[in-house]
Amino acid sequence: MKTASHDLRKLAEKLVQYGRKLGADEIEVTMYDGREFNVDVRLGRIENLVEADSRYCTFRLFKDRKAASASSSDLSLSKLQALVRQALKRAGLTHADQFAGLPSPARFKVTEDSLKLYDPEVAGMKPQEKIRLALTTERIALQDKRITNSFGASFVSNELRTVLVNSSGFSGEYSQTYCSLSLGLQAGRGDRLVEDYWFSARRHLRDLAPPEEVARIAVERTVRQLNPRKIKTQNVPVIFEPTMTSWLLAFLFSCVSGTAVYQQTTFLAGRLGEKIGSDLLTVVDDGLLPGRLGTRPFDSEGVPTQRTVVIEQGVLKNYLCNTYSSRKLNLPVTGNGNGRGVVPNNFYLEPGANTPEEIIKSTRKGFLLTRVIGHGLNTVTGDISRGASGLWIEDGQPVFPVSEVTIAGNLGRVLQNIEQLGNDIQFESPICGPTVKVAEMTVAGK
Amino acid sequence: MVTRKKEAKTEPEKFQLRPEDLKRILALSLSRGGELADIYLEYQTSLSIIMEEDIIKESSESVTLGLGLRVIHHDRTGYAYTNDLAEEKIRSIALTAAAIASSKTGKQPSIKFRHFRPENDVARARLVATSRPLTEKIQLVERAYRSALNHHPAIKKVQVAYGESLQRIQVINSEGLFVEDRRPMVKLVVMALAEKNGRRESGFCGGGGRVGLEYFNRGLSPETIGQEAASEACLLLEATDPPAGEMPVVLAPGHSGVLIHEAVGHLLEADFIRKKTSVLWNKLGKRVGSEQLNIYDDPTIPGFRGSYNFDDEGSRPQKTLLVEKGVVRGFLQDGLSARLMKKEKTGHGRRQDFTCWPLPRMANTFIDRGEYDPEEIIRSVKKGFYVSRLSGRQVEDSGQFTFSVTLGYLIEDGRLGRPVRQATLIGTNLDILKKVEMVGSDLDFGWQTGTCSKEGQDVPVTDGCPTLKISGMTVGGLK
Repeated sequence: MKTASHDLRKLAEKLVQYGRKLGADEIEVTMYDGREFNVDVRLGRIENLVEADSRYCTFRLFKDRKAASASSSDLSLSKLQALVRQALKRAGLTHADQFAGLPSPARFKVTEDSLKLYDPEVAGMKPQEKIRLALTTERIALQDKRITNSFGASFVSNELRTVLVNSSGFSGEYSQTYCSLSLGLQAGRGDRLVEDYWFSARRHLRDLAPPEEVARIAVERTVRQLNPRKIKTQNVPVIFEPTMTSWLLAFLFSCVSGTAVYQQTTFLAGRLGEKIGSDLLTVVDDGLLPGRLGTRPFDSEGVPTQRTVVIEQGVLKNYLCNTYSSRKLNLPVTGNGNGRGVVPNNFYLEPGANTPEEIIKSTRKGFLLTRVIGHGLNTVTGDISRGASGLWIEDGQPVFPVSEVTIAGNLGRVLQNIEQLGNDIQFESPICGPTVKVAEMTVAGK
Repeated sequence: MVTRKKEAKTEPEKFQLRPEDLKRILALSLSRGGELADIYLEYQTSLSIIMEEDIIKESSESVTLGLGLRVIHHDRTGYAYTNDLAEEKIRSIALTAAAIASSKTGKQPSIKFRHFRPENDVARARLVATSRPLTEKIQLVERAYRSALNHHPAIKKVQVAYGESLQRIQVINSEGLFVEDRRPMVKLVVMALAEKNGRRESGFCGGGGRVGLEYFNRGLSPETIGQEAASEACLLLEATDPPAGEMPVVLAPGHSGVLIHEAVGHLLEADFIRKKTSVLWNKLGKRVGSEQLNIYDDPTIPGFRGSYNFDDEGSRPQKTLLVEKGVVRGFLQDGLSARLMKKEKTGHGRRQDFTCWPLPRMANTFIDRGEYDPEEIIRSVKKGFYVSRLSGRQVEDSGQFTFSVTLGYLIEDGRLGRPVRQATLIGTNLDILKKVEMVGSDLDFGWQTGTCSKEGQDVPVTDGCPTLKISGMTVGGLK
């Protein structure tokens, strides 16, 4: 891979020079070199086996503050040069935008090694070992007689090298690995089926949950939904499990992204410095946490990543900005660039002091949210309306599963109404948080 | 050899692999004992243009070139892909995919290619977008932008996105099939944001399909798309919060086709059937819904976004009867499921791109027209909910589904009342299908902008239905 990345860097440098020579004021070229492995097993047998290498190139250029971009998985120099020529032509037909352009040059201070993004063990793992992990995970789960069918278990691993060169003198690259083990299960008979899944995802093999743990949690999550009831429409406290907190935070992220703010498509636009949430609420974006899934030394524009406090004890402190939105809003760039848009690095909610059990125990009557389906989220208004299932809580105990309800509320009010935070944050995805208890939301049923 | 490879790289759309090369690669793919091998070659160019804040902000072009190679052994799939089309690289991925089978010796197929090209092209593109000048496309974008912005003073922001693509594919398999096709697509989408007294609402509209640029003059004009998006945003400013609870629901024609896509379509995809993870796996020939329900999937409707001449494993698609008078009559089959289930292929094996293998997928799914006058359907509801536009949706194999309703209306005494914003409908498919009480005579299709996601693969689709009345459904809202 080392020699390959050397070639890719050279190709990137060549394209930068070519673009400049043809009259681009600024040009930025990114090369990706990836390797993917994926095995799906189902009912004790391999169902799919995928292995692939893929490389592609993306670039963007600016001429007279007019932008054009392109990407290609055809990496022949002649094709890439043709794309540069066409992009310059297209830029000529675009309107000038005073905010367009590359970031001002910056030096990134962290070394690739200190971020622990690459695990040679993942890269060197034998296919047989990967297949064995998936087979073992499913076999353990199927020993439980309450499980009636399997969607299968999967092991995925990949390696990716990213090379970025631009005409402002930036030249950087880093390698990363990823591995995950997942399992989907079904329980119940006839028309009364329930399903759920569990997974573990990490950069380092030694951090991945063992098959026993993935299987046990997948089984528990599935069977606890058996024989669900419908409930009457009511307003009750809602407890979000950590996987549910993740989507709530993903929604929050899309409301604090610099792009949504300058486009005025978020209800949190223009509210920096305001108290928008409970005192318990502290949300951080951090691209520098060693070994985490959202970690990277620099973003897609070559801006160094950093730790940015987004909400501190309920007060909105920062929006997350790429270069373009930071210029539009006259706010600092935060190292969250991704193509035209903004992405989270590790975007997380600081955990609290309570165990999830304590939070459930403290709830006289409420709804423990375990699954949602549907996409009823509106950044403009903050409105939330999603199909849901979960467990009904009475006197501090889960008493029966509930399905076919919707939960509804508004993110603004949800943030204000956060009552308790768990201590159970797991960094299984770039966006994550602990168990969260919200004082009141509408749970609609019969 | 060296010069030939160079040509292949400069003109990749010609996929310069000779028939002898392809035969050798296919033979190698079966060298460990697989039964079927296929090669999917893809060369796609696409362009997008974005306008916001009164300027054409950016254009982006992309080129996708690659080859996916699949080996099937019993019910198992070995898959490998690459974007390096050098023969030695393809030979190496053939060996990777071949490893799904594990015998020491495979068969040595003698392959004779049979070539197929489209007969009656489903694409209706006279002015194929990729061969038209950029200025024409920028004009379309600007027209849509202006019409949305000028629709009403409450409209504060508009975004317009134009997208086009031309995908060239070849599918070649070890049984001698050699298919070539060319698939154009365009899409124009407008988002308008309205603001009044501190309240903000957004509206969307879009159009396109497997059509050429003439569509925007003869079919749906950019002005209409812009105005529709803007008027939806304005209407939502006046909308109230949704009611909550169980009530009769009337679904508007066209957009509500997603209900059928979710409630039945996915559950009739043959992979879920043969794996018995769909609640419909044992329902062939059995009644699952109202006698008024007739459901089809037809990938051959001219110009539609979900249409194709061949599916992504080279089969010719057919209009497929799924449900007749409420009885399950068929499944959406790809080659693998059809073979394992001993059924005929229906031409529904689709993939997102060369990095993916085919799965049974929907194309253009619809409920056929019924007998009732749509007015009569609304009049029959004393108190209920009229769903004008559905957006997000999701279904589980177990049959639970949800829909996000962007715009709805209260029904009071048989008439449409106040507009309602952002509600959620939730139910289970078998239950809802039985509760279809009236099917209207006004079959229509949603915008030609839909994309369906399954196992991480996105493919373009269209859904349709007439006005439908569901006797009771859970509506989720804030009240």
